[in-house]
Amino acid sequence: MLEAINLSKSYNGTVALDALNLKIEPGEIFCLLGANGAGKTTTINLFLNFIPPSSGTAKINQLDVVQHSLETKKFLAYIPEQVMLYRNLTGIENLEYFTSLAGERYTRDQLSGFLKEAGLPADAAEKRVGAYSKGMRQKVGIAIAIAKKAKALLLDEPTSGLDPKAANEFSELMKKMRDSGSAILVATHDLFRAKESGTRVGIMKHGRMVATLRTDEIGHADLERIYLEHMHD
Amino acid sequence: MISTVARKEMKEMIRDGRFRWAGGIVLALLAGSLAMGWQHYREVNAQHELARRATREQWLHQGVKNPHSAAHYGVYAFKPKMPLSLVDQGVDPWVGVTAFLEAHKQNEFKYRPAQDSTAIQRFGELTGAAVLQLLIPLVIILLAFPAFAEERERGTLRQVLSLGVKPSQLGWGKALGIGWGVGLLVLPATLLGTLALALSAENGAFQSSLPRMAVMFVSYLLYFTAILAISLAVSARARSSRLALVGLIGFWIFNGLIAPRLAADLAKTVYRTPSAFEFARNIEMGLKNGVDGHDPADRRAEELRDAVLKKYNVTKVSDLPVAFQGISLQAGEEHGNQVFDHYYSQLWDTFRQQERVHQIASLAAPMLAVRSLSMALAGTDFAQHAHFARASEEYRRVIQRVMNTDIANNGKVADGPYLRDADLWKQVPDFDYRAPDLAWVLSRQSLSLALLTAWAAGSILLAWRATQRLRVD
Repeated sequence: MLEAINLSKSYNGTVALDALNLKIEPGEIFCLLGANGAGKTTTINLFLNFIPPSSGTAKINQLDVVQHSLETKKFLAYIPEQVMLYRNLTGIENLEYFTSLAGERYTRDQLSGFLKEAGLPADAAEKRVGAYSKGMRQKVGIAIAIAKKAKALLLDEPTSGLDPKAANEFSELMKKMRDSGSAILVATHDLFRAKESGTRVGIMKHGRMVATLRTDEIGHADLERIYLEHMHD
Repeated sequence: MISTVARKEMKEMIRDGRFRWAGGIVLALLAGSLAMGWQHYREVNAQHELARRATREQWLHQGVKNPHSAAHYGVYAFKPKMPLSLVDQGVDPWVGVTAFLEAHKQNEFKYRPAQDSTAIQRFGELTGAAVLQLLIPLVIILLAFPAFAEERERGTLRQVLSLGVKPSQLGWGKALGIGWGVGLLVLPATLLGTLALALSAENGAFQSSLPRMAVMFVSYLLYFTAILAISLAVSARARSSRLALVGLIGFWIFNGLIAPRLAADLAKTVYRTPSAFEFARNIEMGLKNGVDGHDPADRRAEELRDAVLKKYNVTKVSDLPVAFQGISLQAGEEHGNQVFDHYYSQLWDTFRQQERVHQIASLAAPMLAVRSLSMALAGTDFAQHAHFARASEEYRRVIQRVMNTDIANNGKVADGPYLRDADLWKQVPDFDYRAPDLAWVLSRQSLSLALLTAWAAGSILLAWRATQRLRVD
């Protein structure tokens, strides 16, 4: 579903991403690990076609994202580190806006159903989002992904800054999306969550994927050890 | 998709306290300025009507006197106010609205409020035109500068674009939403103004103003479209919303405050007008070198006398079958007319060329184009002032001709002064001025209209291109 072929990006000679090869199938959660500036966000931006690749291709559902910029986004949901919403609109109005921009029409009941599914309390859905906590915003982000029936999810550090309970809830929702057949790419710093919810993890350094591991083959301690080994220069 | 974006923009705007406050103030200012304009229009129109009748009555009932005394007694000409002058006073406060029509002289127009007011007053005058040309663009800028720039800063733009939204559709939606907001501020006052005119304007003045009103509406619509599209283009390309605001305010200051001054200075430098003193002296010199009915010693008068004597084949003025005074007065008028025509047409040509400079200068600022159009459609631009001035001068000449012809034909009386009464005064028709029609106005404003349309179209193109290359971060 998500595929990178020799995907590279450099800015004025500085390499941000170096020949990334990656294939994420439906029902898979792939966690990108690595320090800040390792190329995680660059990878996500390339899949979103927000930046043009220097070489190589990013494909979603077998379509090149550069050539099919709008079509590929139909399969996609993107949840940034901070889901940003329109503060003068209620949660349900925000969801309605984003889903109708994605070309989906839902009734009010269906929309509040999605928010409920994403774990947002019913009374909060009718309130303006100006007062929402970060966890509540991330839930709206998930609700958008659910409502969009996204086949591919791009998540950029979606749980950083969430309290453990909220982060756990988020991981559960992610797993639910995975079980319904989505291919999920997560950039994260959270080794624990990566091991818990990920199918595979990839360790990135200076724009290169230095290791790829299956989470069911290693323990928490192993993952941390391998990660730290790679971080040593 | 466009309507989704537009509806969301509207909803946000309505819920935004800043919009409600700013909107309320602008609405009040616009309604207030139009109400003041309306009041002024009604008052001035009523006064003009009274004064117009009074001057005619005075002319008819001036009693028994010599026709030339009647010519000196004179009448006043009042430039009628058009209904749309309530929106735009144009040059009226500068050039005046009334002239005294008398023998021998083409008088300057009087009643120029601008003469008596300070610079500050002139700047601060609240007219519909000022609100529409300056304030509304500022509101548009304030509504539109965050359109893309703020969403980019807040990160919502990334999310929206990740949904597969076409940037140009996002742009159209925002334009519609903001346009709706501006309409909310402008349309109620416009409708009220139209209604007030429909109820108050007399003698079909409202119906005959409808075509002008329609073109004025379209002109302002084009102007606002240009401002909105420019704001969206800047918002789409600017590095931050702060920079977008600074850039747009800069444009607003140039467009509304600097460009008009520069254009005026440029026009004055390229096409110099004589000072009032110079102009008066030119005319005086012109007249001096010619005949004057009061001055039979003049050389031209002698030539005229010889010619008239020859024509009637007599040797003495007293042998003429006609009154020589009448012929001499009329000859004086005709010489004066040549002088006036010469200098006034020079002056008006200069003013027309200056106006042309203003119109061409709207290449640099759309405000100049809409200002020109607005004044012209309100009937308060210089061209229509000159049109009225010419008509009133024509009327002055009719009076002189009727009076002098009568003196020439009947003025040869054996004893005592030659006196006439209302029978003669009635032979001078009432001054019936017809203001130019829309076609006349548009033929003189075609450049402004073309440039304004070009501004609107060019700005839309610019905005469209800017959204095509919309920056995400």
